[in-house]
This record gives sequence, C-alpha cells and structure tokens, in this order.
Amino acid sequence: MTSPIYSFDGVTGGYGGGIVVNDVSGCVEQGQVLFVLGRNGVGKSTLLHLLFGYLQLIRGSVRFKQMDLVGKKPEEMSSLGITFCPQERVVFGELSVLENLILMRGNRDITHLEGYFEHFPILAERLSQDAGTLSGGERKILSFVRALSEGRELLMLDEPTEGVQRENILHIAQLIRERKKSGATFVIVEQNLELLDEVGDHVLVMDQGKVMISSRKDLISREDIVRHLGV
Amino acid sequence: MDPIAVTIALNIIYEITTLFVIVLGLAIVFGLLKVMNLAHGEFIMVGAYAAYFCQDQGWPYIMAIPFALFIAAILGYLIEFTLIRHLYRRPFDTLLVTWGLSFLLREVIELVYGKGFQSLSNPIPGSIDVLGEPYPSYRALVMVIAILSVLVLWVWYRRSLTGARVKAMVENPELARAVGIRVDNLARHTFVVGTCFGALAGVMLAPLTRVEPFMGLDYILTSFFVLVVGGVGTILGLSSGAGVIGGVQSVVSNLFGETSGYFGVLLIAILFLWLKPNGLISRS
Amino acid sequence: MLNGKKTSRRTVLKATLGGAALAAAPGLIKYANAASDFKIGLFIPLSGPAALFGPSAKNCGELAIDEVNKSGGVLGRQAKLYIADAGVPPAEAAKSAVRLMLRDKVDLIVGNHDSAVRQAIVGAVKGKIPYVYSPVYEGGECSPNVFMLGETPQQQLMPAIDHFAKTKGVKSYYLIGNDYVWPRVTNKLAKKYIAAAGGNVVGEEYIPFGPANKFESAVTRIKSAKPDLVVITLVGGDNVNFNRTFAEFGLDKNISRVASLLEENTLMGVGAESSGNLYSSMAYFANIESAENKAFVSSYKAKFGAKAPVLNTLAESNYAGIIFGAALTNKTGSTNAAKLAATAEGLTVSTPTGAVTMRNRHTDKNMYLAKCNGTQFKIAKVFNKVPSGQTCT
Repeated sequence: MTSPIYSFDGVTGGYGGGIVVNDVSGCVEQGQVLFVLGRNGVGKSTLLHLLFGYLQLIRGSVRFKQMDLVGKKPEEMSSLGITFCPQERVVFGELSVLENLILMRGNRDITHLEGYFEHFPILAERLSQDAGTLSGGERKILSFVRALSEGRELLMLDEPTEGVQRENILHIAQLIRERKKSGATFVIVEQNLELLDEVGDHVLVMDQGKVMISSRKDLISREDIVRHLGV
Repeated sequence: MDPIAVTIALNIIYEITTLFVIVLGLAIVFGLLKVMNLAHGEFIMVGAYAAYFCQDQGWPYIMAIPFALFIAAILGYLIEFTLIRHLYRRPFDTLLVTWGLSFLLREVIELVYGKGFQSLSNPIPGSIDVLGEPYPSYRALVMVIAILSVLVLWVWYRRSLTGARVKAMVENPELARAVGIRVDNLARHTFVVGTCFGALAGVMLAPLTRVEPFMGLDYILTSFFVLVVGGVGTILGLSSGAGVIGGVQSVVSNLFGETSGYFGVLLIAILFLWLKPNGLISRS
Repeated sequence: MLNGKKTSRRTVLKATLGGAALAAAPGLIKYANAASDFKIGLFIPLSGPAALFGPSAKNCGELAIDEVNKSGGVLGRQAKLYIADAGVPPAEAAKSAVRLMLRDKVDLIVGNHDSAVRQAIVGAVKGKIPYVYSPVYEGGECSPNVFMLGETPQQQLMPAIDHFAKTKGVKSYYLIGNDYVWPRVTNKLAKKYIAAAGGNVVGEEYIPFGPANKFESAVTRIKSAKPDLVVITLVGGDNVNFNRTFAEFGLDKNISRVASLLEENTLMGVGAESSGNLYSSMAYFANIESAENKAFVSSYKAKFGAKAPVLNTLAESNYAGIIFGAALTNKTGSTNAAKLAATAEGLTVSTPTGAVTMRNRHTDKNMYLAKCNGTQFKIAKVFNKVPSGQTCT
C-alpha cells in the first residue's frame, strides 16, 4: 500500500474559537477520491474550511506531499498545488464566464478549455456573459471547470453537484475519472451518493463534528452509509 | 460663436474634469476597499508640495510626476501596512484613523515648509486658441490629460485581468483567496494606487491654485459630494457624479454668482442623500 | 523582554506626566509675582484660517514687550504678555477675555482678529479695561475704552482710487470680495470714492467663505465687463486663487488690480508670474524705507533670526498695538477709562509705519500704495497722515 499524498489528523476547530469539527482524521492516496459525507450541518464544510486554511485549527495536523499545511493561508494553497470550490457563492458574478475561467492566467487564450466545453457547451455559449446570470447548477459547473482547468494536484470540492442536472453530473464524474488517471487527487464533500458511486475510493462519514465511519468504499455497504445520512 | 460662451463652456469642462481627477483616488479606495480616506485631500497636498520641492530643486516640472508618485507610494504602503490593513471592514475606525492622519500629514508639511503659501510656476504659460478664444494652455492640457486618463482607466478596468482580479476581490474575497489572489497584497496595492492618484491630482493642480498645508481641506468636501451623487464602485458613477457636481457648480456660478453655485451643489447633495442615497450609478 | 517593555512604557508615562507638570509650572510662577507686572492680554490667531499670522504676530508681541520694558515698562511695572487664541469662534474668545480679566487680572487687552471676535470681546470686557484693536478693519467701532489702530476703508481706498483715476486714467471699476462685513462695508465706501473720482462700477460680487473657491466664472465675468481696475477685498487663500486664475487667463496684462489685504505671505502664494499690474494699499509693508521701520526690522531679525516668519501688516499692527497701549497708559498715568480717553485724543506714537496720531479713537497714519514686483512689494506712492474718516467721540 502506498502512503497517502494528503492526510489530516485530529483536526479540531470551528468559527470564532468554537468547536464544530472535533478530532477528525482522514487520508487519501494519489489519484484517488476521498468523499466526506454526512447530513446537513454536521461540519463537512467547516472541515474543508479548516483544511484549506480559512479557519485556524485548534488542534491537529494537515500534510500534503510531506508538507505541513497548518498555518498556511488559502491564497497560498494554489501555489502549493491545491485548489478549492466553495459550496456557496461559487463564481464571481460580476465577471464574465470567460474572466472567471482565466482570471489567474497571464493571457486570454482559451485553447486549454476546449475539452471542457465539449462536456459543457453552455459555458462556451455564454463566455462573454456575466457569471451572475447563470443558473445555480450552471454556476457549479463553471466553478468545477475553473478548478479543474487550473491543473492542480489536489482538488477540494464542496458539493460540486448541488443543483446540477443528472446528465451533467455524469459529465463531472467522467472528467474526475480522467483527471484521477493523470494523477490528481480529490477531496469531495457530498450529499448526493451518485457521484460517490461513480468515482469514490474512500469514504468519511461525519455526524455532529465527529467521524462515524472512515473506510475504503469497497469495504463498506451502501446501507451503512445511508443509515448515517438518514434522519 | 459668442467668445464668452466658449470660455464658459471650457470652464465647465475644466471644472468637471479636474473634479474627476481630484475624486478618483478617494473613489478607488472607498469603492473597492470601503475605506473612507479622510486624508485624501492631504495626499493631494503632498503631491503639490512634491511638485514644489522639484521646482525648488530646479528640476523640470515633469519630474514632479515620478517624484510625487514615489513619495505617495512610500507613504501609502507605510500607512496601509501600519494602520489601514487592520481596519478593513471597520469603516468608522478607518474614518477616525484617516482623520488623525490628515492632521499628522499637515503638521509634517508645516514643520518642513511652514504655514505660509508657496507658489508654483505655471509649467506651460500662455494660452492657446479654442474656437478663436484664447484659453490658458496649462488648463487645456490638464483637461486633456484628465479626459484621457478617464478613458484609459475605464478601458483598463474593464479589459485587464488585473482589473478583473480587483473586481473579484471586492465581490467575493473568500473565493478570490481560493483561486490564489493575494487579497492582502492586492488591497495594499489598491490603497497605494488611491494615494498615488491623490498625489497626481496635487501635481496637476498645484500651479493653478494656492499651495499651503491646509489646501487638502478644500478638496475633501466636494469629493464627498461627488461620491454621494455618483455612487461608488464604478467609473461611470464617478464620472456622472463629477459631471453633476462640477456642472451645477460651474453653471450656477456663471449665471448667479459663486454663493449660489455653492448652495446649488449643497442642495443637490442633500437631495441625493435624501432621495437617492446610493447615487446615480452604484454597484449592486 | 515583556518586563522590559512594561518598564519602558511606565517610564514614558512618567516622563509625560513630568512634562505636563513642567508645562504647568510657568503658570504657577506667574501667580507668584503677579502683583508687580503690568499684564497685557494679547489676542492673536493661533488656529483657524488666519493661523498663518500667529507666529509672526506672537514674535512681534514679544518684541514690543521687550522694547516697552527696556524703556521702563508701564506705570513703572514690567510688562508681561498673556496670549490668547483669537482664531476661535467669537463666544470662545469672549470666554478667554473674561478669563484674562478675572483670573489673570490683565490691565490691558490688545487684539488682532476679525470684527466678529472684536464685538464679542467688547461685549465681554464692557470697557472695564482698555482694549486696543490693532488690525485693518471696516470702521464703525466706537465703544467706550476701545482704541482702533488699524486703517479704515477711507484710508485704504480714498487716496488710492483718486491716484489711479488721476495718474492712470482709470474709469471703470470691478469690486470683488469675500462675503462678510469688511469687504461689503469697504466696497460701499469705495463706490463713493469711485463716484467722486468720476469713475463707474461695472461689476460687484462676493464670494462665500469656507468652500474651496474657484474663480474661473468670476474671472470670465470680469473679462466680459472689461474694467480698468479690479478692487479686491478677498482674503488669504481666496486672494491667492483669484489672482492666479486672473493672470492665468491673461487679464493681468490689460487690467490693473488693487487689493486691500495683500501682504507678504499672500503675495508669495500669488507668485511672481501672477502679480503683474497688481497693487496693494495698506499702512505697512516689510520693506518700507523709513528709519522707524528699519530699526523695527533689524531688531526683529536680531531677536528671531533671519529665518523668522516673514513680517507683515498684521504682525506689525500687533507690535504697534502694544507700543500704543503702553504709551497711552504711561502718558495717562493710570488705566482709568475717562482719563485714558482724554489722553488718547491727539496722542502721537511712533510705529514702524510712521507716526500715528489718534483722533476719534482711530488713527491718522501714513498709507502706502505698493506695486507688486515679482513676489516683492515696491512702494509706488506714499500718502502722508491720511485721516480715518471715523467720528467716535
């Protein structure tokens, strides 16, 4: 078994000194996808915010490729090879779709985006439109494509399929599979099990800020997961 | 054409364009960083004194531009780093701090140059013919530069990726950080750009006006009127604010005298605060 | 380290408190030998728009005290200054005047400020102690026990307008001033002198105080009115801005200007390029070629150095006010109001502007019409012993 490329151990923290996430550990190997599952409000998004540096850890460690990430700021993550898609306010509504996609590039060349446009032609059609005019699902897609096109090694996605049509969820899954093959690693927070079925490797089920299940996907039954997601 | 009418028309354009230049730095800092810089007038004053320093050294006037930018950038970085960056999203505190800062800047200039008036030579004396009427050359140049700078800035802000990143930072700082925008640095640069535009306005206006430590106070009130009328956050809003305030001031002054011009502006500002508090064009 | 920081902060605090105590000490000392001093309360602008004149006025006040004491003091006592800020709202100045009278027990007040503050001080003092009001003003003050040293509109403009009409053939006049009592009263009188000299007024306007004034529209109006002479009663920064704009539009070549409050600092702001055909009519310029003024300038430089704040009419009038107050009191032999009034009439005192003679509680004095030469004044015409035109009894 290869050692994990990304791991976090005993992560504890929350907003304003409170504890929302308590002693959460997990890891993922290169080219694999770690799914963080759980009901609304169990601390999944807070976990991602802690891992990506928006919130300070009270305790715990985070390592990526032997690098200590504790204390790193979100804006430093991209240069370390990590990107993030938030759950809400996922795009810059006042910028055009194109500007959202090339914001951090040196030029306006879009040849690298053509592959994505085949999957999501709607983006190509609306390139010059303000991203704020897109529907919720379309914004999620734009956010996803933006993150993917940055070519980072580790992608952290917070509910990438929320509001996205089923057909496009399959496109998302296919793009994730392709990217996994080329060595990228994912941490995905989800409520929707369809994407898990398509691309998942590891599962971390949370409840009330704590880890309930941490397992390889093929070692756990879907029923066990669903039991924790149900009310 | 009536020669006096030509002069009056040029005066109105002059009033509007210089007002735009005066307010620009303030509008950038307030519109993008939500920092109400009460020391903006003092940066204009610093720019004017930088120009005076250059003249005193016997340097050509054009040298005042890089020199004033240099001074304003150093001051801007220093002030942002020591004071402002701790106070983003605390508008009342920034108001107090920049108010104190305005005193400090005046005192420093007073220590070096004293309270007295300084005068700067007109770098381009004489006049040019506009539709058969002589108009002061330097004023004409200031107008042209001001109009060009509006256009360049407008195109740059709409088209450049740096402009887009600034917009991104303002709209959604969290996401901006996620995509790797160093919002702290970008905010600092934005603040410095604001102070630099203030100093540039000072360099442009110094030969046309009185230069003394309190001159900044002249500009700050009208600048706020422009922001009130135009709304913050867009260049179009800023231009229309300068247009309305400068236009009313100039037209009413020409028709009914200076006192009426001043009250006209005051009235417009009050009406806007009352009926249209977000200004003509404001960021949603 | 933390400890060290704490100590140093405390040390700083102590030092600050110590400093405050030291600063308070002179006040205590003043009380200690209070009985023997002749105390002069001096109102000068230390803040506000006229604060520019604060340092030079203060210097001139100290210089005057030196000279008074050198020649024996006042009523055999050493003269001592109690300085109060006149750059405050009138109500504040009135409070300061009451404080000076009741707490410091000053024997005489000398003031250099606008008329609003003067009226407040007059109201507070109520003639209980003599009050010498020294700067240029519009005239009209006749309250008991108040003595006016400054030049009135009649002194500033009657001979000057006559001179322009006779020597330069000036016929049409444009009047521009700030919107307050001094310019309005001055221009009301100016119109009489203009009519007497056979001229006519082609425009008159007043500019509000406070906002940042621009003068493009005023200059455009003047351009179309085509006067021979512009009579300026703007003050300070407005005076600078107006004259710069005027010259920038090229009006300085064909139209002369005469200003009633254009002193050395303001001319520096106007600048050499904008001062063509610009005149100033006042009772004092720092470069008057008289023996009195030369002595005054050299003792000012000896006391405060070559880099001291530049001398000007407001600073000089402050000096003259103290010299006059001391001379009046000494000649009277007391500060009894009725006796002072009797002595004052006809009293002649030597000041840097020349000998001034009090009549009707105002002074007949020499007036100077200076032409600007770059940023220097050049005396073009001296009018000797011009009467104030005031009729106080």
